[in-house]
Amino acid sequence: MNATHEKPLTWDEMFTPDAVRARYGGVNAALQQLSAAALEGKHKQAADFFMNQGITFTVYSDNEGIERIFPFDIIPRIITAKEWDHIEAGIKQRLKALNMFLHDVYHGQQIVKDGVVPASLIASCPHFLKEVTGIDVPHQIYVHIAGIDLIRGADGVFYVLEDNLRTPSGVSYMLENREVTKRIFPDLLAHNHVRMVNTYPTRLLNILSQLSPRQVDQPNVVLLTPGVYNSAYYEHTFLARTMGIPLVEGRDLVIDHQKVFMKTTSGLQPVDVIYRRIDDDFIDPLVFRPDSMLGVPGIMSAYRKGNVALVNAVGNGVADDKAVYAYVPAMIKYYLNEDAILPNIPTYRLEVEEERRHVFQHLSSMVVKQTNQSGGYGMVMGNKATELELNDLKVAVMQNPRNFIAQPIIQLSTVPCLIDGKLESRHIDLRPFALCGPSGIEIVPGGLTRVALRKGSLVVNSSQGGGSKDTWVVDIEE
Amino acid sequence: MLSRIADNLFWLNRYMERADGVARAVRYFYILGFDSWEGDTLGYGPLLQCYTGLTAGERQSMSQNGPAVLQYCICDNSNVNSLKVLLGKARENARGSQDRITKEVWEQVNAMYHFINNEGLTERLRGEDTLKVLDQLENHCLLYNGIVDSTMPRGLGWEFMNMGKFIERCLQTIDMADAYLQPMGYDLEKNDDLLYWRRLLYSLSGYELYLKSNRGTHHTRQAIYQAIFNADFPRSVIYSMERIDKYMHAMLAENAHPDSDKLVRQFGRLKSMVEFADPFSMDGKSLEELIQRIRQQVWDFSAELSRMFFSYT
Repeated sequence: MNATHEKPLTWDEMFTPDAVRARYGGVNAALQQLSAAALEGKHKQAADFFMNQGITFTVYSDNEGIERIFPFDIIPRIITAKEWDHIEAGIKQRLKALNMFLHDVYHGQQIVKDGVVPASLIASCPHFLKEVTGIDVPHQIYVHIAGIDLIRGADGVFYVLEDNLRTPSGVSYMLENREVTKRIFPDLLAHNHVRMVNTYPTRLLNILSQLSPRQVDQPNVVLLTPGVYNSAYYEHTFLARTMGIPLVEGRDLVIDHQKVFMKTTSGLQPVDVIYRRIDDDFIDPLVFRPDSMLGVPGIMSAYRKGNVALVNAVGNGVADDKAVYAYVPAMIKYYLNEDAILPNIPTYRLEVEEERRHVFQHLSSMVVKQTNQSGGYGMVMGNKATELELNDLKVAVMQNPRNFIAQPIIQLSTVPCLIDGKLESRHIDLRPFALCGPSGIEIVPGGLTRVALRKGSLVVNSSQGGGSKDTWVVDIEE
Repeated sequence: MLSRIADNLFWLNRYMERADGVARAVRYFYILGFDSWEGDTLGYGPLLQCYTGLTAGERQSMSQNGPAVLQYCICDNSNVNSLKVLLGKARENARGSQDRITKEVWEQVNAMYHFINNEGLTERLRGEDTLKVLDQLENHCLLYNGIVDSTMPRGLGWEFMNMGKFIERCLQTIDMADAYLQPMGYDLEKNDDLLYWRRLLYSLSGYELYLKSNRGTHHTRQAIYQAIFNADFPRSVIYSMERIDKYMHAMLAENAHPDSDKLVRQFGRLKSMVEFADPFSMDGKSLEELIQRIRQQVWDFSAELSRMFFSYT
């Protein structure tokens, strides 16, 4: 096999400059045995699996809905146990600090008073919700489910790209990717002793059950979805089914005397814990957006009263704001007195004049991001943008500098992918999923590896032409 | 169980049962259409009357045009009961209750949806593959029923699904029988030719049972007996009512409701009307009245069921 190395300054997950990494020894040998037709056959088998499972999104053309699958690449991304231990320790440390930050920022704001995080940064953050100030959440856990995006730079080091602490999605793909790999590479999976990921739903349910405000044997836990037209609806059904909990919509719930109930065929049943996949803005039209049809009127009063647990907590957006991200290493130092195990990418806040000047001088090597956007939207790659686009960007930045940050463009690591029947290198990131409960933080060994399928692209988001891969954690040392 | 989920499951099976009825009827009407018979003035008329909203004039002009009927009943988005529309609605209901149906059921509904939305299907229906497509459609429906039966857990969800299925089946059999009786003015002494009733019996998968169970030449009364009153025939009206009765009682036992007694009495009156009718002595007019009353009362029962258990908005 000859994977193309266009960029010598990029870390390749499979190859060193002159050899195959030990972790990929078995996979490489197996791929050598397969003809192009056989690889294509496996690719089609995987695509059929996703199509038949209904793991699709709909594209509308001429009033006809056409079902498309999210692209899956059959060649796994492999991480060694040693690397995983490092990642796991880094994420646990980070989440511990972020939970402490969220409690602090909605209670005394000591971190602001001590001058570690600027008050203006919090005050100007659109996701800081004064409506939840002073609310005590069970066990002081705000982030129960996190998807921390990591990338590996040319130096082989894993960096944190962003923290997703509100309603991170993609875990169903992590699990379904493994299911499809079992079908297409059963022997490889067995011989490599790949660590198991499918305990995730059980672990999540255990944590959700422990958050119940009522001390009962079997609390009523539900998953709240915006509905069938939401792009992540498949994931909502997947999680509800694999945890065995009801999947509810806002219209299924009602509030009575500051308690939450669901409307069932035998009347109203109490609800104790809600894993909500609805954004803060939409969750309660009486408190946030009054035009929301997705939420439950009055749910915030039940939450404030402690009669229902909401997972993740409301108001977490202040901690995964792209400008606040720059202060996470300082938070770790402040709350834990430790240095960050997983480094941040250097981040420039464009509201700071000095940093803005530096960024404007080096725009061609920077990526500029809007702090209130996600999914690859609101992002300008300085090395790809035209002169006109860069000028427009500068104007937009000057109008609202708080809304932008900039980071040096990092060449994400690459891994071979099957593209049009041939193996070619593509850039990837990694989103491990962490669960925080009263007993601590758990991370299933693996995650979602996202791939930028367009040649040379560094944007891995599914909304921007990205795909995904199965992620293996193996006990192979190098 | 969430009222919305109960509603989804009920309608999932109603739509799937209707799709099953359409697929089976279209297939048999198509096959029997090759056996020309001088007495065949109805053609696809009863099928169009039972499963489409076409006017009498539109049905008349399409009734002898097999390819047009196939396209209209299978692929046409403007026909609310085309397989394409029915399977789309079934899938929406399955999606809405995806956490309560089994993975296997979801995959089958999804596979059927993709089959019917396949870009090449319209073309295949026009060519030599027509019968193969119709076979595949019917097999998909059979597979769905088998998968539901062997994988869905028993309990409330199962009961609501079956209530939907048998209410739908009951209405379909009533409508199909009516579509054959109307053209002969409900004159039960006419059309004793078995060829006249053959399409009805095949559409209900009851032709073989009919041949095994009946001798003699009074085919009109015997065919109607089988479709409505034969408790051993799984598509008869009385069989469907027995099933509704069973699932209704199981559902009420698990799910107490202040109006339970009212619902039981309402359905008891309806079932008794069929159970205690005398099919071999009633005249055509009485049969017509009975059919109209059954249809109306099944609709009323279904509406009451919805009001009691699905009114979640």
